[in-house]
Amino acid sequence: MRIGIVCPYSLDVPGGVQNHVQDLAETLIALGHRVSVLAPADDDAPHPPYVVPAGRSVPFPYNGSVARITFGPVSTARVRRWLTRGEFDVVHVHEPFVLSVSMLAALSARAPVVATFHTAMTRSRAMAAAQGVLQLILERITARIAVSALARKVQVEHLGGGAVEIPNGVAVARYAAAEPLSGWPGPCAPGSGGTLGFLGRFTEPRKGFPVLRRAFVDLAERRPGLRLLVAGPGERETLLEEVPPALHDRVTFLGLVPERDKPRMLRSVDLYVAPNTGGESFGMILTEAMAAGTPVVASDLDAFRRVLDGGRAGALFPTGDHAALAAAVGPLLDDAGRRAALAARASQVVAAYDWPVVARRVLEVYATAIEAAGGVAIDDAALGDVTLGDGTVGDVGMGDIGTGDDGQLEEQPG
Amino acid sequence: MTSGATTMRGMWSVVAVVAVVVLVAMYVTWLAGRLDRLHARAAAAARALDAQLLRRAAAAAVLAEELAAPELYAAARDALDAAPGEREAAENDLTRALRLIDHPAGGPAGEAVVAASRRVELARQVHSDCVRDALALRQRRLVRLLRLSRRHDRPGYFDVGDTTLELTPPVPA
Repeated sequence: MRIGIVCPYSLDVPGGVQNHVQDLAETLIALGHRVSVLAPADDDAPHPPYVVPAGRSVPFPYNGSVARITFGPVSTARVRRWLTRGEFDVVHVHEPFVLSVSMLAALSARAPVVATFHTAMTRSRAMAAAQGVLQLILERITARIAVSALARKVQVEHLGGGAVEIPNGVAVARYAAAEPLSGWPGPCAPGSGGTLGFLGRFTEPRKGFPVLRRAFVDLAERRPGLRLLVAGPGERETLLEEVPPALHDRVTFLGLVPERDKPRMLRSVDLYVAPNTGGESFGMILTEAMAAGTPVVASDLDAFRRVLDGGRAGALFPTGDHAALAAAVGPLLDDAGRRAALAARASQVVAAYDWPVVARRVLEVYATAIEAAGGVAIDDAALGDVTLGDGTVGDVGMGDIGTGDDGQLEEQPG
Repeated sequence: MTSGATTMRGMWSVVAVVAVVVLVAMYVTWLAGRLDRLHARAAAAARALDAQLLRRAAAAAVLAEELAAPELYAAARDALDAAPGEREAAENDLTRALRLIDHPAGGPAGEAVVAASRRVELARQVHSDCVRDALALRQRRLVRLLRLSRRHDRPGYFDVGDTTLELTPPVPA
């Protein structure tokens, strides 16, 4: 399949949508598809070969943070040229409601458009005001994907219409194979040692870091050798607020770690703690820790409970309760067998979030969009590990029933 | 002097009226084009859904033969042969019949049924969205006033329940 993917945010800065787009593109390429990613990026900045830069981006406040976006006549021309040259079978735009190349591509594409909604935008007043404009964009989109049930709910309630829920993927193999940081996680025995991990913005209240900090302080006073490994943006002083000076050398702060070092950090701890107090629409960090083979202790939020298979693939504690967290962590650090059991169940659960599995579900949506635009059924063989243009047309038990142009995708030159 | 000003004013009024007429005509043309596009989209989505339903019923028939399950075979046949008015009920019956089969995913025939069911669900969702968009535009006052949609049949939803057989991987809220 020839697939054009459009990312609204600059690839020069890290971000969830950008990571998602690049992982998806790389997985689809590995599955034998031809993928081009259009995204704002500096022309001279290094980027992967499948990326087509859509020009420099400007800062734009969006959804509580600053996104770098590209919009305007120059971008429009670049989007059109990219669409024409790509001759895509399907165009996959991410966050098409952001003023960006995604929106431009959705409006100009002739190929069927699939759209993925990442953010659960709960503010509906702006949406209601712009309803007419948004409807014009929606009419250009054939199939919609939401990465979480929350994002899907917004689709259904505010925009009408359905969206297929396909979760964020995680590159399981990359996480599972990562080398722990040297000297970590260190000894962990009944009654002593052990390392707890936290990754993310510890200054953001919703992430619940203070809950973990209090639990750590309580436990560390009783448990010699217990350590805490934290990575994320912020200052060490802020991190260590309310931590007694005697315990300071047992807290290691890595600062902001680049995306490629996340797996190593997650492999360097005995337990990953997700003390979030709410607002998390998808437990991405949980699936990452699970992929890394690190047992997880998480707040009992709906989203987390679902990822953790009701508590079988990770321990749950009442949200915001630091004493309960300490009570859950202590026995787990004493019990290597239970940690291993949680990690084993987690690795089974996380297989459903592995990028190749997720990408195949996305491919089914592509096929549905192509079919709906053309009024035909195409063959599933085009979705799997089939290199384009090899001409195999598998007949999936259709017998004597013709469904139109089966295998029409293969007829087009790869 | 006065008559000159009146003439000027008269000319400007004419220009204004012509401009408004042109703008309205452009808007109506655009609206008609949009209506055409949405109806064509809904019709194509309906054909794709039809193809996926046939594919599912055929896959179910193959599975029924493999398992020697006459009820399932009959349900598949009914879905294939159903008259337009009975199609929704027949497809729902087929979904029910498929759910009665234990572990349909075992073996290639079972897997084909599970995959086809998933694709029916996707096609149905896309079709519903297309129909909803077309119906919403048909409801517009101007569209009804000018009877812009008279050239198009009113698209209808295909009202069947969720056809997926296996629980998809747990999706976090």
